[in-house]
Formats: sequence, structure tokens, C-alpha cells
Amino acid sequence: MKNSYANPEDLRWKCHKCDMFLSVGPATLTYMGNTINAQLPVCPQCGFVLVSEELALGKIAEVEQLLEDK
Amino acid sequence: MSKTVLIRLMPETMKADSSSERRVLSQTESLCPVCLKKIPAFRVTDGLDVYLEKHCESHGPFSTVIWRKDPHFETWTRPKIPIQPPVCYTEITKGCPFDCGLCASHRQITCTALIELTKRCNLHCRYCFASSQNLDDPDPDINKIEFMFKRVREAAPSCNIQLSGGEPTLRDDLPQVIGTGRQAGFGFIQLNTNGLRLANEKDYAASLKESGLSSVFLQFDGVSDEVYKALRGQALLDKKRLAIEQCARAGIGVVLVPMIVPGINAHEIGSILELGLKEYPAVRGIHFQPVSYFGRHPESVENHNRITIPEIITALEIQSNGMVAASDFHPPGCENALCSFSGKFLVMPGGGLMPIVSETNSCCNKPVRADIGARQTIFSVAGQWSAPKVQGSAIAGQGTTNSISGMDLDGFLDFVRSRSFSISGMAFQDIWNLDLDRLRDCCIHIVSNDGRLIPFCAYNLTDIQNKPIYRGQ
Ligand code: SF4
Ligand SMILES: [Zn+2]
Ligand SMILES: [Zn+2]
Repeated sequence: MKNSYANPEDLRWKCHKCDMFLSVGPATLTYMGNTINAQLPVCPQCGFVLVSEELALGKIAEVEQLLEDK
Repeated sequence: MSKTVLIRLMPETMKADSSSERRVLSQTESLCPVCLKKIPAFRVTDGLDVYLEKHCESHGPFSTVIWRKDPHFETWTRPKIPIQPPVCYTEITKGCPFDCGLCASHRQITCTALIELTKRCNLHCRYCFASSQNLDDPDPDINKIEFMFKRVREAAPSCNIQLSGGEPTLRDDLPQVIGTGRQAGFGFIQLNTNGLRLANEKDYAASLKESGLSSVFLQFDGVSDEVYKALRGQALLDKKRLAIEQCARAGIGVVLVPMIVPGINAHEIGSILELGLKEYPAVRGIHFQPVSYFGRHPESVENHNRITIPEIITALEIQSNGMVAASDFHPPGCENALCSFSGKFLVMPGGGLMPIVSETNSCCNKPVRADIGARQTIFSVAGQWSAPKVQGSAIAGQGTTNSISGMDLDGFLDFVRSRSFSISGMAFQDIWNLDLDRLRDCCIHIVSNDGRLIPFCAYNLTDIQNKPIYRGQ
């Protein structure tokens, strides 16, 4: 799916609080009041979002670095 | 610091002044422009502007404007925890600024190492930091340059490199020099040039790119030929534009570098920004240099011939009709706060600029280790001043939207990669406004012939008779 950052193995995780399997759903990241959309593994009940290490160290880290100034 | 000491050291002229607003803000050290003796210096405000005042027993008082109006001098701070350079090539013997190499009293690591490839130049500018002429001085040969890269590598392995001069493109082996730097392990190599050869030779930019050049620091003083005639002795605007075009085609990032002189081009600050944005994404940013008085200059060294950092920031806001705001700019995380300003923006498809506010420089003014700021700058500069990874028509976010809301993550990533633009400026010091606190915090170091690293403003320092302290060593 386009704009999806969920790996099949992510969906084997359960939300600790709700005891429900994560599913791929829309999540929003915000930057200075703007919303950026992404499809991420989320808990269908409470909305908890799993950000994989790959994503955190990859694209999200790159965005952060690009937005970082000297 | 006790008041009595202050009064004893203060020059006669300062004591005579009765202005109630007059206040000593802080103290540093400087040199007498005549005898080069180290003397105390004071940052003094008259309520509006700030002056560096010093007094030599033999040669009298000197007062040089260092800050005019807003943003306010006392709010322009970015405290750092000093760091001794990990490798020092010189011993402390005579005291700062006479031990440069760097010595163990220095307070910052090298973020940019500058290598001067020649003294020759194909222009004879009325203003020239390096006082370049068509001298018969031989250029350092490729072995010497290899040695210089090696010395930088040993002291500051991950710093950025700027190749400078004279006019470095006069060397036909420039591609080889760039290749040598890349082989030595440097990831970001920038060329400081007047752009004439880039404009005149069709495949020249491509050959530099091929040897590993990332970025061109293009001397670009204005958008009218009057400015070039006044500063550089001839009409050059068409050449400058052609140079930008050639770099764009070759995939080399361009930074426009205007030297700002009051009465000559300070009124073109807004138009330079406008032109830079028109030429974006080839142009990656603009880097202003207020005139300083070392090297060759025709004007007398008087305060009305100086322009300070806050004046450039204010001019950016006024002359851009508010497209950028003074509050978009912040002091540097690497060098001393009084040395520079910068702001980073996203170029919006609808034509506006959106300031990027980063956490590290908007929060709380807590001192940060100097080398952490330096590393961040090395990374940020290399990314910002190189050509974007996404080129030409592939720029993200076409159309006229002025919002990033609702983009997906990949789209946003491409957008930021291709649309960031930097506006910055650095004020160099001369013998008149030299402030040893600033000098010790310096992160831009010139490699001397014998392989020492000399802070830029120490290297270029000349006394009242234009005699250098370091240049030529
Ligand atoms: S400027 Fe730095 S390197 Fe030079 S003498 Fe002063 S402390 Fe040492
Ligand atoms: Zn849950
Ligand atoms: Zn003196």
C-alpha cells in the first residue's frame, strides 16, 4: 500500500493495554502545526502507534536532520 | 570585575562622555592597530548601538561600531561550553592571538578548513580580503596540497573543506586538487570563486563535479552592474548568472555570497534574496559578508563605512517586504554568537518562504558543548549547500499550495530534501573590531604553508599599515 510503513511482522504485535493485534491504519505526524499522513501499525482500540526502529532511524530521522539548522 | 578597575582602564574619551545611557556591557581583549600590543577592550553601548572600545598607552583610543539596533545585542546569545581542539599543532608561548596553530587555549574545533590554492586572480577588485594580485608567487604544488589535506585530516577528520585563493580556478589542476581532497576522505568540498571560469568554459563545471566538488561559494555582490563596477571594477552580472546556470546543469549547489558595503549595495539585499529564490534550487542559499577592513579596501576605516549583523537582518525583513522576518534568524551553534546569523526556510510552491524552527536553537539558551554545535553545523552545511538529491522538475510539491499539511511522509521527505533554502551571514573581524573572545571561538581555519590551522580572522589580520601577522607563513 502506498504511504504504508507497516511490515507484516509488526502486525504480530499486540497492544499491551488493550490486548488487541495492531492493524494498519492512518496516523498523523505533526510538524509546526501541519499534519503529515502515514499508514502505520496502530491499535484499533486506543490508537497507540508503533514506529518501527527502521522508520525511526530512517525516514523520520532524515526529516529531523533536514529540519535541523546549524 | 570591580568598577574601579573598569574606570582606570577606560580611555579618556569614554570618561568624558556624559550620556546617561552609556554603559559597559562586557569586557574582552583586542590589539592596538598600530603596535599590535594586546590591550583590554570593552563592549560599550550608548543605549542604541554597541561599540568595541580600546585604548593603547602609546597610540590612543579606538572605537568601532559592532552592533546597531535590533535584534538587540543583549538577546543575541548562544552560550557554549568551550572545547579544546583534540589535536594542537602549536604550543602556548606568546599568548593569544600569536600562538595560532591551533593552540590549547582555543575553544572550538574545526568545522571548515580553508586551503588557499593560489595568490593569483583574474580580477583586481577594489576590495579583496587576500589582497590578491598577479604576483609571481608560485602556487603550492600538488604535493604541498596533499600535505595540507593530511594535516587537516589528522586534526579534524570530518570537517568541511573550502578551496579558496586568490582565484582557485586559475589552477588548471583544480579537478586533481578536488580529487586529492576526496581521496583524503573529505565528503564536502566547496569552491570559493568569482565564477568567471565557470561562466566562460562550457564543460568546466561538469569536470569539477566529476572530480567530486559539492558546492560553489559564488562571489555575488548584487543584481546590478553598478555594484560590480564599484566593487570589482567591471560589469559582471551576466557572467554570474551564467556561472549559476552552468552549476545547475552540472548538479553543483550554489551559495550566493554578497559582500555588503554601506552606500554601495546594502540597498540590494532584498533583490539578491529575490534573485536567489528565482534561481532556486540551483541556488541553495545566500551568505552575506559585511565588509571588514583587512586586505585591500579603498574606503577609510570609519564607522559609517561599516554595516553590522542586525542591520543586515533588518534589511532582509524590510527589503523582502516581510517575506522573511528578523525573528526567523538566530545566532550560530558553532562559532561565537557575535560572528554570524542564520535561518533556514522551506521554499513554498506558492512562492513564499516558511521558516524552519528547530528545537536546538529555539529552546532555553542552555549552554551546549561547542563541538556538538560544530558537528551539527558540519552536517547541516554540507547537506544544505550541496545540490539537492531531487533535481529540476522532480521537485516535490508543484502547484501553488502554500501549505504542507496533508502530505504523506515520503512526499514530505522529498519536499524538505528539495525545498530547503538557507539565509545566513558572517561578520569577519579586522584589527579595529578584533575581539579575542570571538577569535578563540572561531571554527573556520586556514591551513598555513607549514600545515598549521589558523583561525580565519587571525590569518587575515593586518595592522594599520596593512602588514599581516600570519598571512604568508
Ligand atoms: S586564536 Fe586560538 S589558536 Fe590562535 S592563539 Fe588564540 S587561542 Fe590559540
Ligand atoms: Zn491499545
Ligand atoms: Zn599601540
